[in-house]
Amino acid sequence: MRIPVPSLAAFLLVSFPSFSADAPAVPHYALDAAKSTLEFSFTQAGAQNKGKFTHYTVNFDFSPDNLAASRLEVTIDMASLATGDQERDDTLRDADLFAVKKFPQARFSATQIVKSASGYEAVGKLTIRDATREARVPFTFRVASEAGTNAGYMAGKTTLKRLDYGVGQGDWKATDQVGNDVSVSFALRLTAAAH
Amino acid sequence: MAIRNTTRRWGAIAQLLHWLIALFIIAQFTLAWLFADLPAGARKLTLLARHKSIGISILMLACLRLGWRWANPTPTLPDTLKPYERSLARFTHALLYVLLFAVPFTGWTMSSARGFPVSWFGLFTLPDLVPKDKSLYNMLVTTHTVLAWILGGVVTLHLGAALKHHFMLKDDVLRRMLPFVSHKPQGSAR
Repeated sequence: MRIPVPSLAAFLLVSFPSFSADAPAVPHYALDAAKSTLEFSFTQAGAQNKGKFTHYTVNFDFSPDNLAASRLEVTIDMASLATGDQERDDTLRDADLFAVKKFPQARFSATQIVKSASGYEAVGKLTIRDATREARVPFTFRVASEAGTNAGYMAGKTTLKRLDYGVGQGDWKATDQVGNDVSVSFALRLTAAAH
Repeated sequence: MAIRNTTRRWGAIAQLLHWLIALFIIAQFTLAWLFADLPAGARKLTLLARHKSIGISILMLACLRLGWRWANPTPTLPDTLKPYERSLARFTHALLYVLLFAVPFTGWTMSSARGFPVSWFGLFTLPDLVPKDKSLYNMLVTTHTVLAWILGGVVTLHLGAALKHHFMLKDDVLRRMLPFVSHKPQGSAR
């Protein structure tokens, strides 16, 4: 599709109001999936259990000197969950839990990145199933120059309440066997790309 | 009733351990029967968690029981028993003890092989005995099930023998394991 130049310019102006001469450029980072992990841990029958997602995308516009123009967008392919147990994975994909047929993706969209004592915090909306809630995800970020490209290392951990997102219908609403608290941790390698 | 055993009668601790374990074994078979046909789901998970917690309780009680048995006199078998009956009784009791350890132990190991850590009523998590291994898990499911059925069979035999002693032989073999029943010298019921 051809986009008329004037409307593209207008789009850019509206989308990036901070795009002015004195604001530093904001590099764009994309996921290096092979060197990244996105994991979750939860209590099942009193014991700690772990799982991970293998398919997700991350788009991160970030400059520590221009947080106003920084953004984070994470989209997770929910069917890609893996807890190391086929039966459990199938159960998690079912209608009463993640309902991946109906809600194939979860999304975290942060339009606000703020500095915190230990790093940064991404503030935005997290959607799992059909529930969207405000979420604050703390993370650290450092850039390393590797073989001519800039790699960004992003890591963090947060705790969600699964029932806030309706993950657990029917019998799964009970939290005595599967706890409400689910901890999500990520260690991502991102590569800088041309904007 | 005395706390410790005598050569004629089981003491309070031995009786308590015996009947608690008996109760737990009944609970275990009931739970296994309830979750056997359930599809994967919250209810099955709950029943399985109870089954595991009670199983670990049996394992702990079995350890206490063996220690207590070792530290106490064992009531002697009635003189009326024939030598082969004596051997059979000893063998059955030894087998019961072995199974009280083996059944929970295979259950715990099978959970580890499946990759599901075992928690005791959510209070603490037991260490995994083996790394996750699908074929070992399948083998242990069979072992656990077969051993459980053998335990069921031996318990039935044990119960039958106790009732035979009480109602047919009219000795005090059952009575001396019962609380709140006064002890009569052996043979006085005849």
